[in-house]
Amino acid sequence: MPIKLHGYPQPDICDELLDAALQPRPAARVLFDYVNRLGTAELMARRASVDAAIMAMGITFTVYSDAGNIDRVWPFDIIPRTMSLQEWAHIDAGLKQRLTALNLFIDDLYNAQRIVKDGVFPLEVLAGSQNFRAQCRGLTPHFGVWAHVCGTDLVRDKDGTVYVLEDNLRVPSGVSYMLENRQLMKRLFPELFKSSDILPVDDYPTRLYDTLAALSPRPGERPVIVVLTPGIYNSAYFEHSYLAQKMGAVLVEGSDLVVQSDDCVYMKTIAGVSRVDVIYRRVDDDFLDPEAFRPDSSLGVPGLMRAWRAGKVGIANAPGAGVADDKVVYTFVPQIIKYYLDQDPLLPNVPSWMCMYDDQRDHVLANLDKLVVKPANESGGYGMLIGPRASVEERRQFADLIRANPRNYMAQPTLSISTAPTLFGDRFEPRHIDLRPFVLQSKDLHVTAGGLTRVALRAGSLVVNSSQGGGSKDTWIVNTREA
Amino acid sequence: MLSRVAENLYWMGRYLERAENTARFINSTTQVLLDLPRDASFGWNVLLKVAGLDHEFASRHEHADEDSLMSFLVEDEANPSSILSSIQNARENARTVREVLPMEIWERINSLYLYIRDNAPRVKQGRGPRNDVLLGVIGRRESIIGLLTGSMSRDVAYQLIKMGRNLERADMTTRIIDVNAAVQLPADPAQASLTTLGMWMSTLNALSAYQMFRTHVGVHVRGDAVVNYLLRDPHFPRTVLFCLEQIEGSLSVLPDHAPAMRRVRHAWRRLAGMQLDGLKPAVLHEYLDQVQSDLAAIHGAVAKQYFHRHQSDSTGQAQ
Repeated sequence: MPIKLHGYPQPDICDELLDAALQPRPAARVLFDYVNRLGTAELMARRASVDAAIMAMGITFTVYSDAGNIDRVWPFDIIPRTMSLQEWAHIDAGLKQRLTALNLFIDDLYNAQRIVKDGVFPLEVLAGSQNFRAQCRGLTPHFGVWAHVCGTDLVRDKDGTVYVLEDNLRVPSGVSYMLENRQLMKRLFPELFKSSDILPVDDYPTRLYDTLAALSPRPGERPVIVVLTPGIYNSAYFEHSYLAQKMGAVLVEGSDLVVQSDDCVYMKTIAGVSRVDVIYRRVDDDFLDPEAFRPDSSLGVPGLMRAWRAGKVGIANAPGAGVADDKVVYTFVPQIIKYYLDQDPLLPNVPSWMCMYDDQRDHVLANLDKLVVKPANESGGYGMLIGPRASVEERRQFADLIRANPRNYMAQPTLSISTAPTLFGDRFEPRHIDLRPFVLQSKDLHVTAGGLTRVALRAGSLVVNSSQGGGSKDTWIVNTREA
Repeated sequence: MLSRVAENLYWMGRYLERAENTARFINSTTQVLLDLPRDASFGWNVLLKVAGLDHEFASRHEHADEDSLMSFLVEDEANPSSILSSIQNARENARTVREVLPMEIWERINSLYLYIRDNAPRVKQGRGPRNDVLLGVIGRRESIIGLLTGSMSRDVAYQLIKMGRNLERADMTTRIIDVNAAVQLPADPAQASLTTLGMWMSTLNALSAYQMFRTHVGVHVRGDAVVNYLLRDPHFPRTVLFCLEQIEGSLSVLPDHAPAMRRVRHAWRRLAGMQLDGLKPAVLHEYLDQVQSDLAAIHGAVAKQYFHRHQSDSTGQAQ
């Protein structure tokens, strides 16, 4: 008996798995046939067993405000999000194009600044960037790449267009959940992986290792790679530990490392100190090196920037890469692609208004009830205004914020973000989702097959961040062509 | 191996051992208490003395009745040595070293934690449920040891966990013996003799040593024979001597072990030199103090050699 649908059909919203007639789209057909054959009772039983597995495996994330209980179980929906390989191939190419251009852009900003001199990127945007690090001027890391690991968030609007919502170029997280979700699905629905052609994602740790190893200052030898974590209280600690384990890297905290007078980085071991070649850092720039950035940071390593500048250690992502991870800089990405690659962008940006320009700001202030306004440098969905859902008072307060610091804000229309069927009790209900593919770049350029699908578990909610009640789904890129 | 990771592995080993020892001791004391004459001053507070928590408990509770005491020893998060706290600490240590442990170890430690978190309140529901819960802790903890033994290379990480386990175990053995030095015997000689017998049987039981003692030493349970067995038997895995040998074996795998090794040998020599025949309680207490301070010195040498490199700005974990 087919699983019941509740909350469908939805006017003006595109569903990833079901078409307008509520029939499964081609990439979801095998899945739907399968779960309908399983039936409600069996599906619910399997969900219960997967919940128990998540609990036992300790797949967790941390909520800052949860004093006393620092980790929570990762909310996971067992119905995967599907996409056809054909559509995915286009997104894959678009992401490669985008990250190639963004890395050229970052490298240019820290060196000749041609794009500014040529009048394509305004000097005042650069001047107002909180993430531009003067300490990085004049440097060109290996391969000219600064953002080695990027998580780009994509959403689909009601007309079916997939837009880029933002590029996370600092310390993007979530990839461990992508990997764990797939492991869980293989435990849960082994039959489906046999009968349909789903692209694998398990090669990520190897790809990440290769990306990092290519940054070693001592080529030819087996590099010593460490993952630098802020520690157990960081929301992504699980992921730091997970990736270190999967790559065979050492998980370190700032206090485990020391930079000595030869400018090399060492880790403190029970047998003395031992040299480190590459640091995959999951600590923000600000906290990386108290000598170079925030002097009060206890998470970082004094002298790390000195070691990096001297070419004695590879750091991913490079300090300063966050300059392109700024929602105002984001609005220029189409021009950035055109400027460096002389190509039209394959993936569109969401149309945006920049509050730094008088006419655009006036438009934003006059239409606050229709727009989503985002601060330039926040992540995790913090500090933004969702106009249509805000009260009059909230909108008034936000207007003051914008007037006080226009460079810090940009606005976008509220999209009708697509949904996917999500299991609640014994039925499927639509929930809004996004997609975060991960892009690796150093010697090679690689995009994960799919990525992390985040889902807003509260009915009608658009906020998918795990820190604010979001969960996740496995993402299946399905080859629908008959072999 | 990072110094910080080494320290966390060592403490993970200690906390897991502490949780299991406490569970065993509560169970064996419960059984033996039922057989003792009423006027023997051997009550529930014995459990507090062993853990060195009598003052802490007294500051928060008026009476050492069974329920409040069990709650304090098993589920009280404010008591740093309660079973729940010990398992929580072991789990926090394991969380920071997941990448050097076999994946399944973390899952087992996590599920031990979930088990005690969910079941600890049952220890106040009477002796039957309490026994079940504590056996549940012991069984789960033993399965972790089994998994470590069966799935982990005898590498540095393994040796550190094992060293923490053996130091904690030796320390607990001395504490459990020490309880007897503090007992006031009843005036009536027949009663006193019965009480003494009960005490030493309880001691052997708490260390799961009763059966082995009878097999290898004799059926008659005598104080000095028990003390000698629990301190110096080379074959039973909870004796101080056995634990020292294990610690020595672990240390020999670690780099730069000479200073800590010297402390082990020193402890060993002092243990061998003890005169245990016809032992008086006051002397016994002094001997046990000596062993405990020797064990603390071994811990100090290990911490100084291996852990303190990363600790210039922080303090270590509490003993």
